[in-house]
Amino acid sequence: MTLCVLLAAESAFGALPAQAVCQTRDSEDEVLLVLAAASLADVLPVVAESWERSGRRPTVRLSFGASSRLARQVERNPAVSVFVGADREWLFWLEDRGRVDGTSVARIAGNTLTAVVPSAAEAVPAGPSALLDLDRIALAGENVPGGRYARTALAAAGVWPEVSARVVSANSVRSALQWAARGEVALAVVYGTDAASHPDVVTAFVFPSDSHERIGYFAAPIRGTTPAARDFVDFLSSEEAQGILADAGFLPGDGRSSSYFRSREEASDPGVFAPSIWSAVRISVLVALLATLAATPVAVALGWLFARRSFRGKTILSTMVMSPLVVPPVITGFLLLSLFGANAPLGSLLTDLSLPVPFTLLGAVLAALVVGMPLYVFSVRNAFEAVDSRYEELAATLGLPPVRTFYRVSLPLALPGIAAGALLAFARALGEFGATVVLAGNVEGSTRTVALAVYTLLESPGENWRIWTLVTASVTVSLVALVAFEALSRRQRLRMEQVDRF
Amino acid sequence: MRLGARDLRFDIATDSPTIAVVGPSGSGKSTLLRVVAGVEARAQGTVSFAGEPWLEKTGVRVPPWSRPVGWVPQDSLLFPDRSVLDNLLFGAPRTVNSEGAVAEIAALLRIEQLFGRMPSRLSGGERQRVALGRALLARPKLLLLDEPFSALDRPLREEIRGIVADWIRSSRAASILVSHDEEDACFLAEETYTLAGGGLTLIDPRHAYRSQA
Repeated sequence: MTLCVLLAAESAFGALPAQAVCQTRDSEDEVLLVLAAASLADVLPVVAESWERSGRRPTVRLSFGASSRLARQVERNPAVSVFVGADREWLFWLEDRGRVDGTSVARIAGNTLTAVVPSAAEAVPAGPSALLDLDRIALAGENVPGGRYARTALAAAGVWPEVSARVVSANSVRSALQWAARGEVALAVVYGTDAASHPDVVTAFVFPSDSHERIGYFAAPIRGTTPAARDFVDFLSSEEAQGILADAGFLPGDGRSSSYFRSREEASDPGVFAPSIWSAVRISVLVALLATLAATPVAVALGWLFARRSFRGKTILSTMVMSPLVVPPVITGFLLLSLFGANAPLGSLLTDLSLPVPFTLLGAVLAALVVGMPLYVFSVRNAFEAVDSRYEELAATLGLPPVRTFYRVSLPLALPGIAAGALLAFARALGEFGATVVLAGNVEGSTRTVALAVYTLLESPGENWRIWTLVTASVTVSLVALVAFEALSRRQRLRMEQVDRF
Repeated sequence: MRLGARDLRFDIATDSPTIAVVGPSGSGKSTLLRVVAGVEARAQGTVSFAGEPWLEKTGVRVPPWSRPVGWVPQDSLLFPDRSVLDNLLFGAPRTVNSEGAVAEIAALLRIEQLFGRMPSRLSGGERQRVALGRALLARPKLLLLDEPFSALDRPLREEIRGIVADWIRSSRAASILVSHDEEDACFLAEETYTLAGGGLTLIDPRHAYRSQA
């Protein structure tokens, strides 16, 4: 028997296969690890509780996420016992990889596809054609089932070509729901059960069931796992579990026999979408350049201030500037969203000035700037500290007031160190992920940088050459930046040492 | 000129004689010049020049860029990112170059061959002469010399010393020389003081020099 501890990293690396540490134990400690679609996150714990209350063993442990990401974890992680996906495609995909037996798959529930708007919204669109009046729409990602149902439904309604440019891709349907609830997007396409569960959104309309593939949650025991996995999948179709699912608003399932029919023509190709490599590289470089340029005056001013002046609140200010170095980028992104979001005071001011931050290139630049700032300020501070302050004193005795001394003496002497800081900030901005995905989303052609493109590619099977192209580009540019940083740092040191050598 | 014994008090008139301050290293000679130049943040005492208060206990503090001083620090402090010529012109009034004053001073100090060089490629003696030239070209009314000849070998040292003495005489500038070398002090200064125990004491330089020689 096997006890498995799942270290599911809910972070920038959430896309990577969860690591399992397994060791042999007796049956009492056995755990049934179930990976399930994010839209089941509220209801499956209740089902699992019912399973345990009825005396069934082993204990169920649940982990939720986008089906696309979970399927990749199932492929690699032998500890997973049951997979519940939000469409058939990902089960086909697992079947092709020998992880699932097609005859054991059960459709345990159905759902509806719903458009929700923030409950504070002034107008509630009545149908898909009204989407043409909205400026920003959140869907789950291109390869996430919820995202694919939504795209099919919008295409069936004939609005997809116009709407696609306004789409912000969320990691999962739940993320899209959150953005709508926070008022960051005008509308989100989510499942009916999600719409009902959140107090801050209202349902605008329900997509007709024939506008998209029939939504189904498909559960399967993973091959080679404990027999209890099959029991749990059966339990999900039992009257007891179906009652719980129905109470949560899910449509009834139809068991193991039907619905999971797969015609011969249906190859397993869930990866219908792949982001453009050149667009990602172009956006990354543009975002990093703009962030570095915008950060320069601030970093030079702060670096000089920290190196040359002592003032009240210096420690607090320097702690604030340095904090993005240690605070998780996702949290930095969340704090920025709280400041610059559509409903935050600063954000609404910028929106009035036609400079909205969330889900725009500006947002990506802002995230990269804030996260790169500590490295920049740190380098600049070191550069100014390395400049002997007696040069500044001497310039003053030669008649130069402080401002001119700064431009003619301090700044030129610190320039190699400042350039090194700019390179470091540029390299950091290139690699930025966590704050960007929260503040700027993952918008193809506008905020999808190399890091975000790789993240998106990780949830679409195949396409490894794209991942490796982007990885190679990213690593190369970063290494070049770091080598240049070293060269410039050495030059700053040499410049100062030559003088002191007497 | 009055020099208080314990409480530093510098009242310098435009017609003050050149004074020298001698004493062992670490006695605070350089700090004294920094206080007069206005770059010493923790300066105590009073300094006045030509009747104008530069530093007073009441809080008067004239910033260094408003004091007409020419400071030649002990280790020259040539701007490392600027050529010799750019260093010479750094504090000079704009008209100085067109007047040919740069070429004149450079010729006197024997540095006219060095204009294009960077400071890192100069010897210690060359640096001292460039630093001297830079201070003189700023047309100071008060010249502050901190061991200005220490890196020069003897024949050159005597020659440069003479040039500086001539410049002081002709420009009618006041000057303060800090040196551990009593021969320099004796040559340039009319009054020599020792700095010890935090106060200045007038000594007879000629006697001191003779007794040493």
